[in-house]
Amino acid sequence: MDAIQYISKRLLLMIPILFGISVLTFFISHTIPGDPARLILGPKADPVIIKELQEKMGLNDPVYVQYGRYVSGILQGDLGNSTYTQQAVVNDLKRYFPATLELTLFSMIITVLVGIPFGIISANKKDKIPDQITRFAALIGVAMPAFWLGIILLLFFYLQLGVLPGAGRLDTWVSPPAHITGMYTIDALLTGNWPVFQSAFIHLILPGITQAAVTIGMITRMTRSSMLEVLRSDYVRTAYAKGGSQNRVLYGHALQNGMMPILTLIGMTFGHSLGGSVLVESVFSWPGLGKYAVNAITYLDFPAVMGVTLLIAVLFIFVNLIIDIFYQVIDPRLKYE
Amino acid sequence: MLLNVENLSLSLKKDGSYLKILDDVSFQVEKGETLGIVGESGCGKSMTALSIMRLLPDKAKLEGKVNLEKKEITALSKKQLEKIRGNQISMIFQDPLTSLNPLHSVGKQIGEALYLHTELSKIERKQRVVHLLKEVGLPRADEIVNEYPHQLSGGMRQRVMIAIAMACNPRLLICDEPTTALDVTVQAQILDLMNKLKQMNDMGIIMITHDLGVVAEVCDRVIVMYAGKVVEQGMAEELFANPKHPYTIGLMQSIPKLGERKNQLGSIPGTVPSPKNMPLGCRFADRCNKAMDICRGKQPSTVEVGPNHTAACWLYEEKGVGRYDASRGERSEATFHH
Repeated sequence: MDAIQYISKRLLLMIPILFGISVLTFFISHTIPGDPARLILGPKADPVIIKELQEKMGLNDPVYVQYGRYVSGILQGDLGNSTYTQQAVVNDLKRYFPATLELTLFSMIITVLVGIPFGIISANKKDKIPDQITRFAALIGVAMPAFWLGIILLLFFYLQLGVLPGAGRLDTWVSPPAHITGMYTIDALLTGNWPVFQSAFIHLILPGITQAAVTIGMITRMTRSSMLEVLRSDYVRTAYAKGGSQNRVLYGHALQNGMMPILTLIGMTFGHSLGGSVLVESVFSWPGLGKYAVNAITYLDFPAVMGVTLLIAVLFIFVNLIIDIFYQVIDPRLKYE
Repeated sequence: MLLNVENLSLSLKKDGSYLKILDDVSFQVEKGETLGIVGESGCGKSMTALSIMRLLPDKAKLEGKVNLEKKEITALSKKQLEKIRGNQISMIFQDPLTSLNPLHSVGKQIGEALYLHTELSKIERKQRVVHLLKEVGLPRADEIVNEYPHQLSGGMRQRVMIAIAMACNPRLLICDEPTTALDVTVQAQILDLMNKLKQMNDMGIIMITHDLGVVAEVCDRVIVMYAGKVVEQGMAEELFANPKHPYTIGLMQSIPKLGERKNQLGSIPGTVPSPKNMPLGCRFADRCNKAMDICRGKQPSTVEVGPNHTAACWLYEEKGVGRYDASRGERSEATFHH
């Protein structure tokens, strides 16, 4: 099977998965107690008005009728209106999602650039001092709560030293770049707007590191164990026997062979970071999807909750599809099975 | 002389203490010669090979000298070793499937040796790779260049390994059980190929094996190792016709012969002693049917037992065939004084 066939097959397989997710979230959110109409109108509202609003929002219809209405909306690109922000959910997502995606991408880049080399060093110097240090640091990274690390970083770099900004995505005197992807750094680069890029970039540093701390720990540990296994294998010995230098053997032979479990973990953590960055977003007042989702849940804002869930589900599947394609690129034995 | 191994001893660290894996191993390899190293598993054959390549774990302690032509390998730095490995000394391993990188194409793996040791351009390297593949007898060389190890059969993979080893025309080729993982018919083809390549390149070969059939087929000279020591050394024909050391005799008797029907094949009782508690005297004494009192108390020294034929055994020392020190005299533990 060739690449295009494989990808289209995988994309088609997304449809039943998305259907399942939408059914699940819809029915769960509509069977839990709580009345959105009451929440919107407040505790002292007139029962007649509440009834009217319930009727208007279609809350009295059977659940499957409501679901049908919702799905036909999705197919037309309409995720309904948020009851909390009073905006179309699609527009809200467009506004908040790029901020989260930018932060997640940035933290994943840090994770990969730091975690994988650390893991390799750790495996190559097994049981020696560099290994002990890396393992200890990785353990701390995994064990430390993100919000706590975020606050410590804020105290030090923002309050004490004043070298890095502490909140938001841009300095107040900088206006956002033209909207292309919604990710400020990328948009600024695309439009060649250097000062905006700088401002957006330094705002990413602290939240990026905070979010990366946990994932670096995980990737380091995974890389270490995967590499330890690979370094014992015969082809690594062959590579040394050919006259390869240590770096050549580690990065040219061993890493590629040990990459599969690392890639899997990168895919998982990427998906996880997208949906679970709410703590970091709160600490750094990052206007992202996490905060939006938490607000939506607090106010029983069903359309918003559903929208966020579906978006994250799609992304999760998409990231894993990309990871699967990477597998095929790396390992000739798989070849689109 | 191509390779000279002098008084090589190797200790590996295990659970906090050093274990002596090789003890005072000495031998030579001449140009155009195939030296067989035989012995049971765990007798130190492979470790001898890895010591020559200096492909040992970090915590290994290596004593003695290894000289390749005029270069002292045991004195080289990491960087200098990288220049020699795969270039002047190459090695072929037992299992060709696990010894090839599953993710790199055949062409890339052979080409890497050329990339590391020659100045050839990318196109020249590719031509040389195809030429090498033809030389090791692979059909469709032009296609195999782009194929991956999993697409090839066991024999073909071992030919690819040989092509990698031969890429830079090494002076010495070390083969660690190169045919053990292969079918019998393929074994013979691979051995033929190695003989042919040896003659073409005038290189020396060290053939490590436990298969005396392989030794008979390709080796000029043989050393027999037991528990980290060389116990007998001689020309292949002489050794097969006239084995001296009880261990070698035991090995010979364990080969089944056509036409002879015995109820039981000869076998040597017991197992190789572990490096943790090596016997004080001859290491084979506990399994030897000719063992005498002195064997358990003192280590025998190496004596000449025939033309170009030495053995380390008390049987011959007492008969006074004449003492011969393969290792230039001083052997403190080999005390034989009247």
